[in-house]
Order: sequence, then C-alpha cells, then structure tokens
Amino acid sequence: MSGFFRRIYDWLLRLFWATELDVTMIGLQNAGKTSLLRVLAGGEFTIDSIPTVGFNMKKVQKGHVTLKCWDLGGQPRFRSMWERYCRGVSAIVFIVDSADQPSFAVAKDELHALVQKPILDGIPLLVLGNKSDLSDSIGVDELIEELDLKDITTREVACYAISAKEETNLDAVLQWLIARAKN
Amino acid sequence: MMSYSKKDEDGDSAIFKVDRTSVFQEARLFNTSPISPRKCRLLLTKMTYLLYSGERFPVAEATSLFFGITKLFQHKDASLRQMVYLVIKELASTAEDVIMVTSSIMKDTAVGSDVVYKANAIRALCRIIDGQNVQAIERLIKTAIVDKTPSVSSAALVSAYHLHPLAKDVVRRWANETQEAVQATKSFGSSIMSGFGGSSSATSGTGMSQYHAIGLLYKMREHDRMALVKMVQQFGQAGVVKNAAGVVLLVRLAAKLAEEDPNLRKPMWTLLDGWLRHKAEMVNFEAAKAICNLSNVTDQEVAPAIHVLQLFLTSPRNVSKFTAIRILHSFASIRPVAVNPCNMDIENLIGNPNRSIATFAITTLLKTGNEASVDRLMKQISGFMADITDEFKITIVEAIRTLCLKFPQKQAGMLTFLSGVLRDEGGYEFKKSVVESMFDLIKFVSESREEALAHLCEFIEDCEFTKLAVRILHLLGTEGPKTSQPTKFIRYIYNRVVLENAIVRAAAVTALAKFGAGECGIKHPDVKKSVVVLLTRCLDDPDDEVRDRAALNLKLIKYEDETIAERFVKNESTFSLPVFEHQLIMYVTGDPSTFSTPFDISSIPIVTRAEADAQDRNNKLRSSSALPTLKPPTTGPSPSSAPGIASVSDHATTSAAAQTQKYAVQLATVPELKPYGALLKSSKEVPLTESEQEYVVTAVKHIFKNHLVLQFNIKNTLPEVLLENVTVLCQPSLPEGEEEDAGEPRLEEEFIIPALALKATDEAPGIVYVAFRRSEASEPEDPEVEASDFGYALATFSNTLKFTTKEIDPTTSEPEDMGYEDEYSVEDLELQISDYLVPSFASSFQNLWEQIGAAGEEATDTYKLSAVKGIQEACETIPAQLGLQPLEGSDLVVAQNAATHVLKLFGKTIGGGRVVATVKMAYSTKSGMVVKITCRSEEEGVATRVAGAIA
Repeated sequence: MSGFFRRIYDWLLRLFWATELDVTMIGLQNAGKTSLLRVLAGGEFTIDSIPTVGFNMKKVQKGHVTLKCWDLGGQPRFRSMWERYCRGVSAIVFIVDSADQPSFAVAKDELHALVQKPILDGIPLLVLGNKSDLSDSIGVDELIEELDLKDITTREVACYAISAKEETNLDAVLQWLIARAKN
Repeated sequence: MMSYSKKDEDGDSAIFKVDRTSVFQEARLFNTSPISPRKCRLLLTKMTYLLYSGERFPVAEATSLFFGITKLFQHKDASLRQMVYLVIKELASTAEDVIMVTSSIMKDTAVGSDVVYKANAIRALCRIIDGQNVQAIERLIKTAIVDKTPSVSSAALVSAYHLHPLAKDVVRRWANETQEAVQATKSFGSSIMSGFGGSSSATSGTGMSQYHAIGLLYKMREHDRMALVKMVQQFGQAGVVKNAAGVVLLVRLAAKLAEEDPNLRKPMWTLLDGWLRHKAEMVNFEAAKAICNLSNVTDQEVAPAIHVLQLFLTSPRNVSKFTAIRILHSFASIRPVAVNPCNMDIENLIGNPNRSIATFAITTLLKTGNEASVDRLMKQISGFMADITDEFKITIVEAIRTLCLKFPQKQAGMLTFLSGVLRDEGGYEFKKSVVESMFDLIKFVSESREEALAHLCEFIEDCEFTKLAVRILHLLGTEGPKTSQPTKFIRYIYNRVVLENAIVRAAAVTALAKFGAGECGIKHPDVKKSVVVLLTRCLDDPDDEVRDRAALNLKLIKYEDETIAERFVKNESTFSLPVFEHQLIMYVTGDPSTFSTPFDISSIPIVTRAEADAQDRNNKLRSSSALPTLKPPTTGPSPSSAPGIASVSDHATTSAAAQTQKYAVQLATVPELKPYGALLKSSKEVPLTESEQEYVVTAVKHIFKNHLVLQFNIKNTLPEVLLENVTVLCQPSLPEGEEEDAGEPRLEEEFIIPALALKATDEAPGIVYVAFRRSEASEPEDPEVEASDFGYALATFSNTLKFTTKEIDPTTSEPEDMGYEDEYSVEDLELQISDYLVPSFASSFQNLWEQIGAAGEEATDTYKLSAVKGIQEACETIPAQLGLQPLEGSDLVVAQNAATHVLKLFGKTIGGGRVVATVKMAYSTKSGMVVKITCRSEEEGVATRVAGAIA
C-alpha cells in the first residue's frame, strides 16, 4: 500500500517539479559512449557492443529529473552531425578512452572544433576519461593537459575519470548533470 | 493507422488547408520539452498529407524537418512512433544524412512482434539504410520475414524488395525465408493488423504477405528462368497461395514465361486454364486476359478464356461485366472470329444503362460482326445514338469508319448512317469524326464518292464550325472536278462565298478555282467560263485574302498554257510528311552549328497525293484492325520490338526511312565514312548471336552509293573481362549457285574501325565498322558506268571477332595489364537483294504492273514453304523478306480460312528503279504453303534476284 502512495507522490512530484534535460554524449568511436549510457540507465555492462550507426536515445530518471541522453556515433562520418544534436542542450558530455593514447590528438581537435562553434556558446561541457580500470589509462590531470581543456574558457568545464565497467565515479557524473538543471 | 489516431484526423478538417511553409514553421514544436504527442501527431499528419499529395520539401527543409523529428524518438506513445516512421520513410529520399537514425530505428525493429510499430520501423529502416549496411540488418530482416505476425512479415518482405536493387547479393540470401513466408498460412484479423497500412479490400482476409513474398521471390529469380518455372508450378498448385493478389502475380508470371519460351507455352497455358476456374474473380480475369494476350493464340487455346468471359457478361455486377467486355473488346480487334460466340450476350449489353459497358459492347460487335450482320447492327445503333454523349458517339463513329474500310461493299448503309448522325445535334469533336469518316469513304471507297460529297455539301449549307467548312470546301475542290457533274457542286461552293465569313469565303474561292483549271476546265469549257465569272465577282470582296486568292486564280486560269494552272491550282504532290517532320526535328534539336546552313527542303522526298493516300489507308486499316501478332506493351526487356503493333511490314516505308535517317546521323559522326556520300539504306538490326551468349553481337548493313558498311554492335556481358581493340574479320563469299564472273560486282574490304574497349558495365554497345567497296564499276577510268550501275552485289559474310581480353580484378575493378589475343566466331551475315530495296507506296498496282512490265524484265519462281503455317503468316514474312511494301491492303487477309491469296508488292531500289511483284499463295494443311512469285523490275538483273530471294 505504501508503495502505491509512494508512486502517487513521485508522480505528483514529477508533475509539478519535473525537469527534463537534454544531454548529448559524443566522443571518438570506441570511447564507450553507448556502454556508459546503458550503465547510467541501469542496464548491465556488456563487453561487446556494436558500433552505433547514427545515434541512440535513452532516458535516465533520477529523482524528479529526467535526462534525455543522445548518444551519437563516434565514427568520422557522423562527427559532422554532432553539432546538430548539441544545439540547445543542457550539457555536452565528451567521452575519451583514457587508455588509448594515440587517439588523444584527434579527440582534442574534434572537441576544440566543436566548442568553437558560436551556436554552442555557453553550453556546459563535461569531459569523461573512460576506462579508468585499465592499467595504461591516464589520470584526470594528464587528460586535462592532453586535451588542452584549460583553453576552453567561455563555458563551464568539468573533467572526471570514470569506468563504465566498474561503475566508478558514475554518481559524480549524474550529480554534475543534474546540477545543470538547477541553473 | 491506429483507430484512435484516425479520430484525431477526422476531427480536424483544417488539415486540408495546410501549406508547406506553415508546416515548416510549426516544426519548432518538435524541440519543445516535454513533447506533446497529440500536437506532434497532428503536425506529422499534416506533413504526410503534404508529402502524399505531391508536395516536395527542398533538401535543406527536409533535412531540418528530419532531424527535428528524430527528437521525437523513443516516445512512449505508440502511434506517435508510427507517425514518426511514416514521415521518416517519406523524407528519407530528400533529406541528407538520414543514415543517422539507423541505430535508433534498429532498436524498434528488435522489439517483440506484438508491438504495433515494429512493422513501421522495418519499413522506415529499409528506406534510410545504404548498401554497405544492409548486411548489418540481415538477421533482423530474416527473422522478420518468417515472423508469425502478418504485418511484420509483409513489412520485411516489402523492405527486402526495396533493398534488392541496393544489395542484390545480400537479399538473395533470404530466399529460403521468403519461400517459407509464401507457404506459411497466416490469418489476418488480429488487432495488430489495424496498424498495417497496406491492408486493402484486395487482401480479402488472408495472406497479403504471400503476395509480397511472391513479388520478392520473383525479383530474386528474375534472370533464372528455370527457377521461375519451378516457382510458378509449385505455387500454382491449388490451395498453396490463398491470396488472390498473389495468384494474380503468378498469372502474370506464367504469361510472361509462356511468351518468352515456346517450350513452356503448353504447361503454362494449362496453369492459366486452371486459374480460369479460381474462386476469385480477379484471378479469372487476369488469366483470361493473359490467355487472350498470348501471341498467335490458337482458337483452341483461347476458347476456355472466352467462355469464362462470356459467363461474366451476364454477371449481376457491373464491374464484372465491364471488365469482361473490355477484355473481349481488345481481343476482338485481334481475332474477331473467336469472340463471335459471345455476340448474343454482348448484344444484351447494348442497352445497359452503364455507358462504358454499352459503348464497349457496340464497338466489340462492330468488330466481330460479319458483313451480313452489319446492317442489323447499324439499325440498332441508330436507335441508340441519341441517348449517349458525344464522346461515346465518337467511339462508335470511329468503329464505323473502320468498318467502312473493311467492308467497302457496305458503304451505302454506312453512308446513310453517317449522314444521319451528321444532321444530329453534336459538338465539334463529334462532327469532326463524322466528317473525317466521310472523307475516308470518299478517298478510299470510290463508289460512295458522289453521294458522300452531296451529303457534305448539304452539311456545309448549315455548318457552324468554320474549321470543318474549310476542310470540306478543300475536299470539294479536289474531288468535285473529277465527278461527272461538277456544276452541281459549284452552286454549293458559291453559296458559301455569298453567305459565310472571310475564312470560309477564301477557302471557297480556292475550291472554285480548281473547277476552272486543268482537265475539268478543258472538258467543260462552259464550267470554266462560269468559274471565271464567279471569280471576277469575288474581286469585289471586302476581305483582302479573298480578293487576293480570286485574283491569283483568275490569272492562272486565264493563262494560255494550261499546264501552269494545272501545276499551281491543282497541285497533286506534297512532301512526304513523316520524313519532313523527322528532318525538321533533327534540324531543330541538332547542335547550334547546324543553324549556320539553312534547312534544305529539297532533301525531303516528294510524294504524289495518290501515294500519300495509299499509305494513309494502310495505316488506318492497320491501326484499327491490328494483326494477330499484336502484343500488349510489356514491361519486360524488349526495347527492340516497337510497343503496340509488332507487325513486320507495319509502316514499312515510314519506319525504313526513319531508321535510315537515324543511322545517317550516327554515321555522319564517323569521319572515315564522309567520302562515301549519303546513306541510301540501312537494314534492320540482325542478331548474330543468341542473346544469352558471353558477347552479344548484332549487325546492321548500310548501303552507300558505291560502298557497303557493316556495323557490328557488340555487347560484352562478362563483368570480369575487358575487351580491347575489338575488330571483326569479315570474309565475303558469293551465295551458293552464283559463279564468280567478271561482270558481277565484287566486294573489296577498305578499312575497319575497331571498338577500343568494351566493358560489361557499358550502357551502349561497342561499335565496329567494316567498310567495303561495292561495284567494281566504280573504278576511276570508267565514270560513266558508275553513275548508272549500282551493282547489287550479294554475298554471305563469315564473321569472327578478334580482340585482346584482359581480366578485371574483382576487388579493384581495374583491368590487369597483361591480356591475350582471342577470337570468337559469330553467325554468318547475308547481304540480300532486300537490303537494296526500299519499300514504297503507290496508288494503282495495276498501272505499275503494266508500266514496269513494258519497260523492264520479268522473272518467276515457285516455292514450297514448309515452315509457314498459314496465309496470314506468309503475308507478314514475305514482304519483310523481300524488302517490299504490300499494296492495296493485300497483306491483310480478310477471310480467316482462305486457301489462296495474292499479295501485291512494290518497292524501289536504292538507285530509284521500280520493282513490282505479285505473290500467289495457296495453302492447305496437307500440302503446306506453295507460293509463286512473279517479279518485274525496271533495272536489269533485279527481278531475277527478287524472285529468287524467298527462302
């Protein structure tokens, strides 16, 4: 019975204070965007997922906030379309495979090219170094260095090291994203 | 569409006032959060309305809409999802980057098959996916094809059908599943089906996916005839395919197979015959139509189909009656006799309140009726003409006009009928068709001339249509002077000058002048005198044009020299209009440089009126009562056979001329051929290989004044091989029985223009030209002979292709560097007398026969043709074989089972010498066909060769 009232309460809460946030998740191929989204939405981590053709959309419910996550494909042919899905969102999440050193240069270029677009001015950016469970992964500070994040000044920028597989630091990610709703 | 979304649609009538810009503006709705499913659905519905009513969004707008719509993905409102997929499917062809949504849609195709939008998602998926990614959805489609839910299965099958052109090899791997889908029996009616857009009354309850599966299987096996045969036979068993539309597909397929392979004709006909008794009417009709359309169908084969159609004629449903009579109507133009048994039932339909049925009934009867029944029919029609509208009257008048030409003996009755309807009320189009029918009677049935002219004279007394009055006056001018009592017409014509408007008056003056000029003026001096008086009166006319014409004609008539008036007033020759038209089109559509020289009108052949009329009559006879070889235009790959009537001698003159024109343009682009002068004649394309060979070769023979050019069209069908430097080795040899002697013209090869490279992917075939010098008389020291002797050399060429083959690397599709020489021999090509003959028209065969007989030589030969099965067939093949034109409609055998027939043929050699021939035929089933050909020619040596040319 109490469960029933609880659901009514939640429903009322959502009715009056519900907020929906659009979040775009981008990054090079095989950075772990789709896996991260699946884990965030409460799914199981799977090691072998197929590359995303185009995009995926999933909703993540956290309290009275609904995160509408657009997980875009990371292959070169889709990168030109990132911008279209970043317009007007509450936050851009840029995911990097922190164990894949050779890809950092490309990742940096793609990220800087994107944030320089005037239409995306002021949208908060969250950079995630995924796969922190792997032994050759680099730490947050190194990642900030590698991606020249200090150069991005016109917006809020945060950087976390996470692991979608081990579910490390995912709460921090969610907290940060939900915090965008309060602005 | 779901039932509840339908309610929304009906509730909002504003949807019919949508325009593209406002919809595009409203699309901002998609970006709002949270999404309102109801509003979005409404907007999407407006979009589909626009798209389905033919509106096209520009690429930028479509792309922006498309991505706006993707914001609606994964909404939990199921019908919104359906709408989303519906719109995506439509926008996919215009918007850019549609590949973006692949992953998202795939997610919706992987849901349980009871989810309503699964089918829509599959259909949308196949529209956005590109060739490379088809493999990624292979498993998904495979399972969906065999899904137990019909909507999902159908969606997957239709999707596969659309994917086939993109990824043939992948789709072909789904054959087993598709086969399974045909055999699975699924029942419709579950609630899921309301979400399936394609369900229509044609499904009548069961198995639409069977229809889709058969369509897909056909697509996969299109080029594998054996597999198709197996498929038709397997599914053709009673009860295997429940869906009527599916069976209709099988019917069409069976008909196609029967048409393509004579060996399959018997088994396929048996199947078709079985389908005549299928429980669905649409299958019966389709099968009956297929049987009727079989080429050269025998009476025995067609009888059951006719019988079934006859039963439908008495059906209580109008639509069945209509379909049946329509099929019978078109079959009656081919084989009136076979439709005869239905005449009783058809006659009952004449009074049908449905006008379409009634009109078809009458026109069918007019075709099937024999001479005896014509009078009775005409009577029946007369009673009924008043009740129908003009357009149906026109159909009937057209049918009668054909009848006039077919049964000239019946002209009196028909003339009465036509003059009767001419007096009736009616619009311009109707009157025009009546007047034109009478024109035809006057032109082609000379017995009716005077009476018909009298009727027309009466008509113009009270004719409200200026155009018709002018045409009739013109006809009176040309035909009137030839009659026994020209004065009769002059009164009518002069009445026009007094009473009508300026246009008619001008026409009347010209017509009047024709009575005064030429033969008529000489024979009846008093007529000439009164014409001069009348024309002088016309000089006072208030209109310029009328006065000018009167003055000119007066001057010409008064001229001492009668021939001048003859030439100008009664001009009997005209340009050959088809050639003229073609030349003008060539001139206008050619590159701008051609405009630097004026159009040369002297290049257009001039034909006399009599010739033009003879040709006209032939065309009219043919267009209305087509030959038994008439085939329906098929969608199949037969571009070489002209659509519609495929008769051999059909429009021979025009088509031969037009063909030569076409090649002349093509050959003009080859500089080496310039010195040969004008192209005189091009033959039809002759196939030198079977069409399934690795190299398909056809040849065209071009005749120039002193040269012969063989054009070989070569198509490489092997995708893994590149042919380079292709030449053809042609070895001419004299035909059997002809000794090589000094007087005979010989052929000397001059040069070969090779085709440089041939790939299987090339659209146009590669062309190799081989040029020969003909006529030994063309040697420079003897120019006199050259002018007169065209040297009709006959020969058989043995042909061998020579080329360098290079293998193409399948991965890079680049040819390898090393190639090797190869040869490929094709069939022999014969250079026959018919290649030097141009079919042409003439009015009076008898005159020609006597004229040419007096001047030239004659040859006779008799043959027994064992391969020919009937007079009609011989009438089609012999003119084509000889390259001559049948005259006086002698290639149309009116009596069905005639045992003897005489074919009258005429043509000209490329040098202009006339050739005339009669072919007497006798046929009996026991002894076969015996023909005796007698040929007369102006030029020496031609007659013998023509007489010897029948094989």
